[in-house]
Amino acid sequence: MSAAEAGTAEAGTAEAGTVGRAPNPVVSWVRLFASECRLVLTRRRNIAGLAVLSAVPILIAVAVKIWGVGGGGPSFVDSITANGLFVALAALAVELPLFLPLAVSWIAGDSIAGEANLGTLRYLLAVPVGRTRLLTVKYASLVFFSLCATLLVAVVGGLIGSILFGTGSMFLLSGNTISFGATVLRLLLVCCYLAAGFAALGAIGLFVSTLTEQPIGATVATVLINVGMFVLDTISQLDWLHPYLLTHWWMSFGDLLRSPIYTGDLNRGLLTALAYAIVFWLAAWARFRAKDVTS
Amino acid sequence: MASPADSQQTANRNTRQRRRMLAWVAPLAAAALAVGGGVLASNNASAEPPLPKKTAQQLLTAVAGAKVPGLSGTVTETANLGLPSLPTGSQGGPMSSSDFSDLVSGTHTLKVWTSGQDKSRVALLGTYGESDLIRNGKQAWLWSSKDKQAIHTRYVGSAPDSMQPGDLSQAQTPQQLAEQALKAIDPTTTVSVSRNVTVAGRPAYELVLAPKDDRSLVGQVMIAVDAKTSTPLQVAVTADGQTKPALSAGFTKIDFAVPDASTFSFSPPKGTKVTQHTVTAPSKRDRADARKHAKDAASKTTVVGKGWTSVVIAKADQTALGKSGKSGGNAQLQALPRVSGSWGSGRLLSGALFSAVITDDGRIAVGAVRPQLLYDALQK
Repeated sequence: MSAAEAGTAEAGTAEAGTVGRAPNPVVSWVRLFASECRLVLTRRRNIAGLAVLSAVPILIAVAVKIWGVGGGGPSFVDSITANGLFVALAALAVELPLFLPLAVSWIAGDSIAGEANLGTLRYLLAVPVGRTRLLTVKYASLVFFSLCATLLVAVVGGLIGSILFGTGSMFLLSGNTISFGATVLRLLLVCCYLAAGFAALGAIGLFVSTLTEQPIGATVATVLINVGMFVLDTISQLDWLHPYLLTHWWMSFGDLLRSPIYTGDLNRGLLTALAYAIVFWLAAWARFRAKDVTS
Repeated sequence: MASPADSQQTANRNTRQRRRMLAWVAPLAAAALAVGGGVLASNNASAEPPLPKKTAQQLLTAVAGAKVPGLSGTVTETANLGLPSLPTGSQGGPMSSSDFSDLVSGTHTLKVWTSGQDKSRVALLGTYGESDLIRNGKQAWLWSSKDKQAIHTRYVGSAPDSMQPGDLSQAQTPQQLAEQALKAIDPTTTVSVSRNVTVAGRPAYELVLAPKDDRSLVGQVMIAVDAKTSTPLQVAVTADGQTKPALSAGFTKIDFAVPDASTFSFSPPKGTKVTQHTVTAPSKRDRADARKHAKDAASKTTVVGKGWTSVVIAKADQTALGKSGKSGGNAQLQALPRVSGSWGSGRLLSGALFSAVITDDGRIAVGAVRPQLLYDALQK
């Protein structure tokens, strides 16, 4: 809705300006992008979703504080008592298969189908916002949201962990001890890597969202694609397929916690994410530019 | 009759539709490019690199004389031994274990660093975990991130010389070493140099060892030897009648620069359980004792047959059998199928490359042969 408003406002300025002088495309793109980002982060249902995401690290930290480690549990959990920053890693590992992809699928499914469902897509396109430009803005805001959601989980996890367990010496999977600053840097790299994967899922969601006018349907379909890829990844007979699955590489974020960092799988993970993002963004573009927008 | 306006409209619609279809070319082309690129990247060893011809002996001589000051690389290990799945407690699915004991099944990635004769590090990369085996002079560390445990071993006295196989150490030159090795395996084995291959992006010779006795479960052993440095880059063991190797380990990436010295230093992080071990190098008398012990052990062990089809029969005391395989060793034993015959009865472990029978009267027969040969050997 506000995207449409921003578009209208922008159109207004264009009209007010000298006739024949188009508004600076970069400025108007940035303006649309900023409004879209604001929308994504301030919609009440999105805030509720982000609250659920940040509840997981709090839950993990409190549970470990009260009942102790006790062996087993999700990865990284048994290191939490040594260093609170491990809460962030444990929470990311727990939310990686479903929670974070669900959040990204939700926003992605909503991106085009949501506007179509509310009847605002028509207005958005009626003002001079090209379809291609709208898709780039929508996707850029999806990338922004992926990074924000991942960072939120890590920051909340790091904060609650530091409060409850303090920040003792942090050790890597290879057994090296590193400083607090280096730990924060590694956590940031982990978030960026995961956000790239989720953003690629967002491109799939964007494409699905151009196929329908039902945002819920688009979200469910995107989540199903995500879960389906995880299921395929567990079938060992399909091992030739695994490297082509987007989700196959997500758990490689652990490679950032080695010394030296093992880049083999990380590079392939990033390349796979990039390929998915390009293919599905182009598919969304091919579909959307020819779509009859009636609502 | 269509009016000119109508046909104009139809033409417009047709162009519009064609444009719509054309737009799909972009994502399809991108998808094809991505998949094609992926396939190309995984089949990089298709062309046979041209290399000067070498005989098996020349190749062995080069390997024996190879001196590499240091290297670092990534190794992919795949074991498909066809063993019955035992309850090992390892996680299934896309999670890969970081336990060295889990190398016997599945595919694993290892990182390897060596420097000089006495520095090495092997890291087994698991999902969210890692195990490291670091050897630095007279110190060795075994680290497991999963258990947060480290085992520290110190060698007192002279460094262990276990790297030298006794008989071969008397040979002086690589040439002699190669000759002796060939002589030792020649009666039972066909040694040949196969087509050239590319391993880790490097052209390599491929040495093939094949048992002459076709009763062996081993089909052939292939060793890829780097053309430039004569370092073995890949080893693959194929079971008889199979096309895919049952066991293979090879570099996917290798760099012959000497790794930084810090790679080989290790200090356990705080809160780690460290177990200390001290190994004292055996004195001359100890060595003599050890040789006697070995002889005693040998008297309990008999070898039936020779070469690739030899069967080793050992007497195991029941207590050791009960303790083997950590907890639940007995349960694992019970899970194996029962076999019996004129030789007695026991349990059979049958894999793609070897078979083993553990008899009820406490004998163990192992060999790279089919179970029938084990039974024959047990009867003798």
